[in-house]
Amino acid sequence: MTTRPHPVAASAAADAAALLSLRDVGITHLDAARATPSAVSLDVRPGEVVLLLGPSGSGKSTLALALNGLVPHAVPAAVEGTVRVAGQDAATATVAQLALTVGMVFQDPDAQLITGTLLDEVCFGPENLRLPVDVVLARAEAALRRMGLWERRHESPDVLSGGGRQRLAIACALAMGSPVLVLDEPIANLDPRGVDDVYAALREIVAEGDRALVLVEHNLDAAMGLVERVVVLDGEGCLVADGPVDEVLRARAPELHALGVWLPTATLAALRLRDAGYPFARLPLTPAELREALEAMPARGAASVPRSPERDADMPLLRVEGLRLSQGRTPVLHGIDLAVTAGEFVAVVGANGAGKTTLVQAIAGVLRPPRGTVRIDGIDVRRAGARTLSRHVGFVFQNPEHQFVTTTVFDEIAHGLRAQRLGDAEVRRRTEDLLTRFGLIDKADVHPFLLSGGQKRRLSVGTALIGGARLLVLDEPTFGQDRARADELLALLDDLREEGTTIVVVTHDMQVVAEHADRLVVVDDGRIAADGPVVDVFSDAALIARSGLRTPPLREAFAGLARHPGLATVARLRDLPGGAR
Amino acid sequence: MTAVVETTAQAVPRRGLAALNPLAKIAGAAPAMIALVFVRDLSTPLVFLCLAYAVLLLGTRFAPRALGILIGVIPLAIVVVAAGFALWVDPARVEGSPELVRIGAVVVTAGAAEVGLATGLRLAAIMALAFIGGLTTEGADLVRALVQQLRVPYRIGYAGLAAIRFVPRFGHELAVIRQAHRVRGARGGAWSAPARVAGYVVPLLAGGIRHAERVALAMDARAFGAHRDRTERYLVPWRRRDSVFVGVFWAVSIMVFVIVRPF
Repeated sequence: MTTRPHPVAASAAADAAALLSLRDVGITHLDAARATPSAVSLDVRPGEVVLLLGPSGSGKSTLALALNGLVPHAVPAAVEGTVRVAGQDAATATVAQLALTVGMVFQDPDAQLITGTLLDEVCFGPENLRLPVDVVLARAEAALRRMGLWERRHESPDVLSGGGRQRLAIACALAMGSPVLVLDEPIANLDPRGVDDVYAALREIVAEGDRALVLVEHNLDAAMGLVERVVVLDGEGCLVADGPVDEVLRARAPELHALGVWLPTATLAALRLRDAGYPFARLPLTPAELREALEAMPARGAASVPRSPERDADMPLLRVEGLRLSQGRTPVLHGIDLAVTAGEFVAVVGANGAGKTTLVQAIAGVLRPPRGTVRIDGIDVRRAGARTLSRHVGFVFQNPEHQFVTTTVFDEIAHGLRAQRLGDAEVRRRTEDLLTRFGLIDKADVHPFLLSGGQKRRLSVGTALIGGARLLVLDEPTFGQDRARADELLALLDDLREEGTTIVVVTHDMQVVAEHADRLVVVDDGRIAADGPVVDVFSDAALIARSGLRTPPLREAFAGLARHPGLATVARLRDLPGGAR
Repeated sequence: MTAVVETTAQAVPRRGLAALNPLAKIAGAAPAMIALVFVRDLSTPLVFLCLAYAVLLLGTRFAPRALGILIGVIPLAIVVVAAGFALWVDPARVEGSPELVRIGAVVVTAGAAEVGLATGLRLAAIMALAFIGGLTTEGADLVRALVQQLRVPYRIGYAGLAAIRFVPRFGHELAVIRQAHRVRGARGGAWSAPARVAGYVVPLLAGGIRHAERVALAMDARAFGAHRDRTERYLVPWRRRDSVFVGVFWAVSIMVFVIVRPF
């Protein structure tokens, strides 16, 4: 694809009415070989809602940071071209001056908190601007009221939920009084309830129409209906599309998909179905549109949907019977029964504090379960020593860095084998085998902390499996990661599963549940509230609401389709007819 | 929209010690604390211990944790330090003093016990005096007082305040790291403790630095450091009662030393 000179490039003269005006902006990080983004020109006018898309490595977040001068003033990088913020040149203005025009909301709500109460937190920005006390308070009150937090102003931010803390971060940006808000993956660290919370808040801001939003977001399903304009960067960081949602996402969906840009689930599903012969006149963007389009189409020959293989209940790999567990004096699990057969991919879901993590930690022997309640391959987890246990089950913590105990990638893998008292030659052979399989062999002598995020995650999975475990247990492995990195891990899990590894994963991520798991275990208040194939569990609407889950978009579109019964049970994109999309 | 005007630092007005300027509480107790380092008798620390307790009990409404420190931690510290020093003290220094207890080869003389008790009381008195400020001041108010009265640059003060928020986060992260290392089968036992602890430091620092960078970006994005000063919504003034508190505390301290004559 030719990208320059570009047909959608903004006119050469900076637009005087634009709040943000970028001309041929290229940003090169200190350690990077080339500029990403590169040669980007665009304008953002008052009240616009812009979604910034692009594949991993296209420089979306870097571009977002350049909009208020954090790049290059706080994060060193070489910036070419001009970034004008309300007429000022961002290269010469200070971040503080630019903050008057551009407010920022970052991914991690915890990293945006400085003071001890909500009110102090929201006042922090206006105080830095040396506004008079009564103006500071008026702004804080207005911002907190808009985010529905005014009544809680004297509380500590620590007691808010993740969604509440992110709403507080938005209130802080509102209180700066800046006409543009830039949000960089604001919901990546949130559970489904938090996502709803934040998007409800954003919808209200858009409805008022007094702020322009620039949103970097991977969850397009949440963002549809909110955004008006879409800007797309390609893998090189060049601008390839800039226009209304319809013109970009609907009209150019196949091209964007080929670039590796995320699309709404409903659009992806329609692309596959179209390949399979379903005639979509207009690509849908939301589950409701997809459903409507399908119901207007003639029925097709029943698509053969592969059902997940029937479980062999007699020979489970993992058997949990009557598991009760307390933490301190608080009972957390009240009698859990669960059997997992070799080769299954089980997602454990539930609201915060339901006992999900406790359950999987007991399964993997991180916490010690009572005698006889957890058996893997017939071995009692309580009685097994660490060495025996590592041959049967591997546990992966949320942050891979937490579990590295040695100083090289090679030793990290070899550690588990040496603990089994294997000979040096055998340790070397098996370690190198695994490193090759995980694509880490050329990093064998590197310190684990110097790996990239995705490589660290692969290494942590490798350390869990080197003992020969057939059962891999992961605790929220995609939490706080951007979509690209999460997808990399999920692809690895799918490969392992193909090779016969059984996978149990705790997650809030509905994408994991919908696209990768074949069985869903819902934990509610220390008990198993539901356990079955993903499709069946999601048909219970009351249960889903109670457990803090959300119906995945495909279920929303397909459940009970009258004219296409063959699609009515599909939960995963990959199970749709239409081949290799 | 009308703003509720809340220019005092608190929604609920404070009373007693909590209403004093944090610097007054430090300045008041500081001379006595320094002087206590050099005394060797029993009476002086005992008097200051009682004095500090009296000030604390009269001037504060206690949270359970603070009461626990006063009733539990300080007396326990006296006992432990006293016992430790009584055993450890050089016998030559207390030669000739009568034997008090003998367990096997271990002898505790009255002189040694006295030295131990004096040390324990001295440390306890210093601790109690420090708690006059420590238990009744919020970190944010201390930062504000440092900025407003001592002209400490606010960039340093507020950066410190943000850093205080890291502490519980660090604690939680350390707990998770220890759990993860145990699962990996990191060596157990007392001999390998230093290696084990060293293994916690790298991930803890890596996480800490990354978090600090993010917090710094978020603060910059909210115009932190834009001007030479910033709006102080909460004034922590130095009032007449602060001067009175410091003056009276100093006068009483001097009186104690004059009457007890420890030197």
